[in-house]
Amino acid sequence: MSAAVLNQDLLEAAVGRLAADGLTDLRERALVRFGETGFPSVREENWRYTNLAAAVELSNAYLSDAPGAISATNVDISQLNDDIDAHWIVISSGVADPDALAALQDDGIVITPLSESNDSDQVCIDDPLSSFNAALLHDGLRVRVAENARIEKPIGFLLQDDAAATAGLSQTRIVVDLGRNASASFIELHRSGGDSAHFANSVVQMELDAGASANFVRIQERSTKHMQIGRLQARLQENTTFNFTTIDVGGKLIRNDVAVTIEGAHAVANVCGVYLADGNQHIDNHILLDHRVGPAVSMQDYRGIVGGRARCIFNGKALVREGADGTDAEQSNRNLLLSDTAEIDTKPELEIFADDVKCAHGTTVGQLDKKELFYLRSRGLSHEQARILLTRAFAGHILKKLPIENAKKYIDQLIERKLDQLTGDTDQ
Amino acid sequence: MSSEANDIDRLVNRRYEHGFVTDIESESLPPGLDEGVIRAISARKNEPEFMLEWRLKAYRHWLTLNEPNWAHVSYTPIDYQEISYFSAPKSDADRPKSLDEVDPKLLETYDKLGIPLHERARLAGVAVDAVFDSVSVATTFKDKLSEAGVIFCPFSEAVVNHPELVRKYLGSVVPYRDNFFATLNTAVFSDGSFVYIPKGVRCPMELSTYFRINAANTGQFERTLIIADEGSYVSYLEGCTAPMRDENQLHAAVVELVALKDAEIKYSTVQNWYPGDEEGKGGIFNFVTKRGDCRGDNAKISWTQVETGSAITWKYPSCILRGDNSVGEFYSVAVANNMQQADTGTKMIHIGKNTKSTIVSKGISAGKAQNAYRGLVRVMPQAANARNHTQCDSLLIGKQCGAHTFPYIETRNSSAQIEHEATTSKISADQLFYCRQRGISEEDAVNMIVNGFCKEVFKELPMEFAVEAQALLNVSLEGAVG
Amino acid sequence: MSIMLEIENLQASIDDTPILRGLSLKVGAGEVHAIMGPNGSGKSTLAQVIAGHEDYRVTDGSVLFDGENLLDLAPEERARKGIFLGFQYPVEIPGVNNAYLLKAAVNARRTYQGQDEIDAFEFLKLAREKMSLLDMDPGFLNRGVNEGFSGGEKKRNEILQMALLEPRLAILDETDSGLDIDALKAVAKGVNALRDPQRSIVLVTHYQRLLDYIVPDYVHVLSKGRIVRSGDKSLALELEARGYDWVQEAVSA
Repeated sequence: MSAAVLNQDLLEAAVGRLAADGLTDLRERALVRFGETGFPSVREENWRYTNLAAAVELSNAYLSDAPGAISATNVDISQLNDDIDAHWIVISSGVADPDALAALQDDGIVITPLSESNDSDQVCIDDPLSSFNAALLHDGLRVRVAENARIEKPIGFLLQDDAAATAGLSQTRIVVDLGRNASASFIELHRSGGDSAHFANSVVQMELDAGASANFVRIQERSTKHMQIGRLQARLQENTTFNFTTIDVGGKLIRNDVAVTIEGAHAVANVCGVYLADGNQHIDNHILLDHRVGPAVSMQDYRGIVGGRARCIFNGKALVREGADGTDAEQSNRNLLLSDTAEIDTKPELEIFADDVKCAHGTTVGQLDKKELFYLRSRGLSHEQARILLTRAFAGHILKKLPIENAKKYIDQLIERKLDQLTGDTDQ
Repeated sequence: MSSEANDIDRLVNRRYEHGFVTDIESESLPPGLDEGVIRAISARKNEPEFMLEWRLKAYRHWLTLNEPNWAHVSYTPIDYQEISYFSAPKSDADRPKSLDEVDPKLLETYDKLGIPLHERARLAGVAVDAVFDSVSVATTFKDKLSEAGVIFCPFSEAVVNHPELVRKYLGSVVPYRDNFFATLNTAVFSDGSFVYIPKGVRCPMELSTYFRINAANTGQFERTLIIADEGSYVSYLEGCTAPMRDENQLHAAVVELVALKDAEIKYSTVQNWYPGDEEGKGGIFNFVTKRGDCRGDNAKISWTQVETGSAITWKYPSCILRGDNSVGEFYSVAVANNMQQADTGTKMIHIGKNTKSTIVSKGISAGKAQNAYRGLVRVMPQAANARNHTQCDSLLIGKQCGAHTFPYIETRNSSAQIEHEATTSKISADQLFYCRQRGISEEDAVNMIVNGFCKEVFKELPMEFAVEAQALLNVSLEGAVG
Repeated sequence: MSIMLEIENLQASIDDTPILRGLSLKVGAGEVHAIMGPNGSGKSTLAQVIAGHEDYRVTDGSVLFDGENLLDLAPEERARKGIFLGFQYPVEIPGVNNAYLLKAAVNARRTYQGQDEIDAFEFLKLAREKMSLLDMDPGFLNRGVNEGFSGGEKKRNEILQMALLEPRLAILDETDSGLDIDALKAVAKGVNALRDPQRSIVLVTHYQRLLDYIVPDYVHVLSKGRIVRSGDKSLALELEARGYDWVQEAVSA
């Protein structure tokens, strides 16, 4: 596939069609910024395994058609609450229903449209996908959790792209600040409304002030026609805790970029994930843990099960900068490869410029443990039962650590369904 | 803490021991590179036409390439027109027929290096080929080797005496288009070592080549080709040193190994090129392409390297595991001190069934040095039951150095089993205190702990080399920790 | 009897937290002293300070060994003068051969004393002698220092090192912790075999149990960084019966 290039003229025209509001200046800056780089190509080290050509083509097609008005997505909220009990906010192309936002204004949390928050300079446009995102934003969300506030019930963002008839493109931006000693949990749920092609590009920015703690769970169950690039960046000040888990079962082309920067001592970051892929799915997880200050602790723990003709990528990096003494950074990535047409590319990197550190990583690609299989069969389980049990346990390792209790049951079922599909597909 | 810092200073401030220059009349081509230079080198070597054509093809291709920039190293750009591409001791015209005829100054040089070229060679039972600047000056034990049918000679001799072997295998592992430095080497290489082990022969002794860059403003571009025919075995050792000079010197070598069915090649390197001074002035740029091809079933290629020298090291000795049941191994100790930069590792390409690879990498960083492991393990779809185990450990000595790990693992077969582990740490204060409480000095304790850290690699080296490597490591880190 | 170790008003802290707060102790040649006390009383700190661990800062007081100030000496210099610390948690040093470390240690001591170094053969002979004394498998010598050793093996290895180095002053820090009864007996046997009119031993322990097998001449109770009570071995039995609270209450009363 030759490198596809986004048509900058079309982009400029599309940006010009967006209504003037508090984000106009941001869009202009982002447009210029994007023009300098364009989309990354596979020649760039961070994108060597993921080719964005299809996403670029889709974007060009979408931008050449005048985009229609954003129609509210039809979602059964009570069903959603049955699935996962949370304060749900439905986001369509970056825009949320103002009534839903108003309903939430209590007890230390305020959510406003980004266009009304008067701090669009806080919106990051440092990388190509973020600048593309900002240039085309209809709107975004600004979330503020007040000092010392403890938000017990998770805040849920449903990103459901309907794109009923035509191929679509959507940009979502959520900018979150947690004040000193605040705590809150967030769920980002990605779903598809229709079955046509779609390219969703989302960016979440999180700022954790000293003593704050945040849990963030991303559940991605898009249709296998959807492409999704999701970036999450978090900055951690001293004594903060950040727990992130991503669950990927759907999508055609999925790319998750998680960038956590530790700027304060005694911060703790746990970044975990499960990816289950079959068919022609492509799921790419990139993690950067940037230790600028020590002592601090980080853990990356990802597990994948890959069958069919799917391809999954894990590229985790722990960067320990000069002076970040007392850093303890660990990475683990384990994979089960279920078919000879599937592929796993894993690249756990360490880049270390301080000596008082403890860093380690471990990676495996393989099959279920034969001894464990035998053990279970010796207890009377069939080979099939044993295989399914062990495969579930393999993925279950990450679920055990899931930081948001409310989401557990739903995710369990989601994974179970996907595993049935995956393990049913293969003979052995 | 402060005593630790003092010790770091002490360990870091140490002198390069092989930094002398030998005053020998040499004959060099003037600096610069064009087709004329390549024709001159080829003519000088009395090469057959096919060699000249191959060199020119490489040169023309090289002109279209850009220098790679993905490695975790930085350096001032190399001006390829400032380099002299050929330098030889003047007496080359009547090259010595035996060691007795070798210029005594050269022998002295090798004595200073502690290389067993002469009597010691006989005692140690190691056959040695010595490459001085760009030409091979002496090969020992020729008779004994030829009795066994082993060919071990300077590359330029092989081109003349065994053109059929050279033509068949040269460039078959590292093609002339392979990469920027290998392509340059193909165009301008002047000499190197050639080894052929016939079918079923176990080479009766270790083979060894010592490389030394002597002349100023000279690049060294040697080429080594080792062919182990079916069922044969050879162990080959390579050592390198260079004088202390303020300017950087380029070393861009290519090593090709071919192991046919049931053959085994063990290739060991102790690389101690001049690393530059404490401020990073001078030193060798070591950009080397080394690759082995397990071309037949049950073949085995094992790389062991101890890298203590060079201002910049850029090398990835690799194995193509083509034959079923073939085995690739890579054992590496890389030490970077002061301003040294190392980016080294391996590639294991699993193609055949039941292929197995092992990677053990031990990186030590001190001073302001940067030390990176970069490795690729690739399992192709047809490589059923491929196995890889990688252990990659880094040791940091001091606060200003860096240790980096960039492993690429690409798996496309569901029966593959790949395990990769890496750790990074400093020498623990508890370990040091424990040793010192037993009466061992801080410096000895550091050496002991560092040697322990490298043990898995050292035990892969042939005996004489292991001792040399251990001593070299201690010297390299003299004064470095407490 | 000559005084070998003389500690006067020793005060030491770690990360600015005072641990030893004016500790005084005299140990004569040939004597066995037991230092007991609750967790956190400063027992291990005392052992580490005598050995010269750099994490501890001595803020006041003195430590004399044979009348010479110890506090200015590097750990290895103290070791060469004959001070041996049996560690509570002996560290693992992967890849470093046990025999290699021991030989280097023995020769460092010998060189310091103006004796010739011993060669590998002599060393092995000596090591085997000491090991049979301790009922240790000679295979121990070829393993990495404490690498993959069980708790009991590590402690035995410490005693083996002590036997080989023949120190003048041995400080054994909780050598009994984590040992089963057989291992405890073996360790005690090794220590008792080294009792000598020229050698002093300081046992740091939490429990009385060890003292059933190595009978001390003196017992000291440490609390909050000071010795609060000294006596003979009956003090240990009394502690066992009445607990540490008894001493601490007696002091604060």
